Amino acid sequence: MKRTMKNLPDTTKIRENILRCAVASGHGHIPTSFSIVEALVAVYATMKHDPGNPLAEDRDLFVLSKGHAALGYYCVLAEYGYLTLEECMTIGTAKSRLGCHPDRLKIPGVEASTGSLGHGIGIAAGMALGIKIRGSSRKVYTLVGDGEANEGSVWEAIMVAVDQKLHNLTILYDDNRSQVRCLQIPNPLERLAAFGCDAQEVDGHDVNAILAALRTPAKGVKAIVCRTEKGRGCATLLGDFHAWHRRSPSQAELDILLRELHAQTV
Amino acid sequence: MRKQFKDTFFDLAKSDPRVVMILGDISVYMFRDFQAQFPDRFYNMGICEQTLISAAAGLRSQGFIPVVHTIGAFLTERAMEQIKIDLVYNDYPACLVSCGGTVDWAWDGPSHQAWVDVSFMRNLPKTQVFQPGTKKETDFLIRRHYADPITSYFRLSDFSHPLDLKMEAFRGIVVKRGQGNTTVITAGAMLDPVLKASEGLDVTILYFHTIKPFDHELVSQFANTKLKVVHDSHGLFEAVCEVAGRSVEKLGLPDHFCGCYGTVNDARRDIGLDVGDIGEFLRK
Repeated sequence: MKRTMKNLPDTTKIRENILRCAVASGHGHIPTSFSIVEALVAVYATMKHDPGNPLAEDRDLFVLSKGHAALGYYCVLAEYGYLTLEECMTIGTAKSRLGCHPDRLKIPGVEASTGSLGHGIGIAAGMALGIKIRGSSRKVYTLVGDGEANEGSVWEAIMVAVDQKLHNLTILYDDNRSQVRCLQIPNPLERLAAFGCDAQEVDGHDVNAILAALRTPAKGVKAIVCRTEKGRGCATLLGDFHAWHRRSPSQAELDILLRELHAQTV
Repeated sequence: MRKQFKDTFFDLAKSDPRVVMILGDISVYMFRDFQAQFPDRFYNMGICEQTLISAAAGLRSQGFIPVVHTIGAFLTERAMEQIKIDLVYNDYPACLVSCGGTVDWAWDGPSHQAWVDVSFMRNLPKTQVFQPGTKKETDFLIRRHYADPITSYFRLSDFSHPLDLKMEAFRGIVVKRGQGNTTVITAGAMLDPVLKASEGLDVTILYFHTIKPFDHELVSQFANTKLKVVHDSHGLFEAVCEVAGRSVEKLGLPDHFCGCYGTVNDARRDIGLDVGDIGEFLRK
């Protein structure tokens, strides 16, 4: 199933859903989920996939390497028909399939269980290698965070992907600068290029820009640095995303956040 | 044992197109015929054990049977979390084949000693742990288990025991049945010094090529004797202790790394696991 540009999901609505799920369940990482909404929408609009047959043999694959953005992921999966919003509201609760990090054995459409940082990109590289061995044209996409890129295993995996010429692999790098208080990576574009990726940089909150970057033919392992903001859409979240890293709003706070969200054109 | 591992998988790869070999720049020369015959199923991927394991999970997701091989300390202990999350939690199983045993390469020092590999692999859910003691056992265990739907750890040693034992999957073996009250329990190549140490002693010897799943039933048959475990790793003792009702004595790894260089026998002497130490333990 491919969506046309005309019926792409509304990213403001997805952010509102993220907030409502966090309030309903008391769980989820809001700011990091907010930073990847456009990237996820663009990837799912680009990939060959079918919610009616999540295990279709010819599907493209997506791995959310920064697994703590699961709430945002679930709300995008709901837009594409893999989950219902009602189920997303149950994240992190006892009878739910949806943890605060995604489990591939429980959730249709999820290809890899992640959570510990620096794993998903290596799994994605192995998937791309397997597809390459079979001579298939299927594609693999993975999304890593700048905080996650503190892990050496991220760069190991990139080196292996480049060395193995996995030109069917696209790495989206969520540069939301979450690491401003510790190990910063100030120049991800240069670093990814230096590691041998065919790297480009886009406004990570511009779906059309990400779509264009995804469509650009790659001359190698494609890396798309998405310049984003952690908490994009709500001034309160942007103002102190560390405090909001894993915090659910009260009802009063939700009202403020929703007002901020809808006052913006995200 | 390592050459047998290559020979067995080379043979299996001829009939099973799912087999993909991933090396961490170890044993590469030995695999040159495998590489020549199956260039798209042989990857000397790099000295990056975490990614070797993650990539193996990805390959499994695409229907391959990945076999990851390097030195035990790096394969298991460096990439512990990738094994736990990418292979086990994700249910993308792989075959992990190590070399170097515990102190096979004592000259390389503690950095190259696999210390908790067996116990770590054993304590993870949905895993199998094999410690073959001969080439024949290596061949048997790989052929029998390489395609099993859970992660399998094959711990190879450079050393062997001298016996040609009748193999049965998941079963321990009574190597020697004594009339006395002592039963010594060992695994893998350690059977060699155990045999030497028990010469002239009236003891029963139980041998295990498979640490997990463990043949508790065999141990239970000897539970009314004094159970003494001799092992060059952690894991076998704990498996034996799971047989309720008896206390178990252990001669195993000390609470410090082996700082002795030299041969495997030098190292075993240093950590109290050589033939003399075992003999003293059995007579105690």
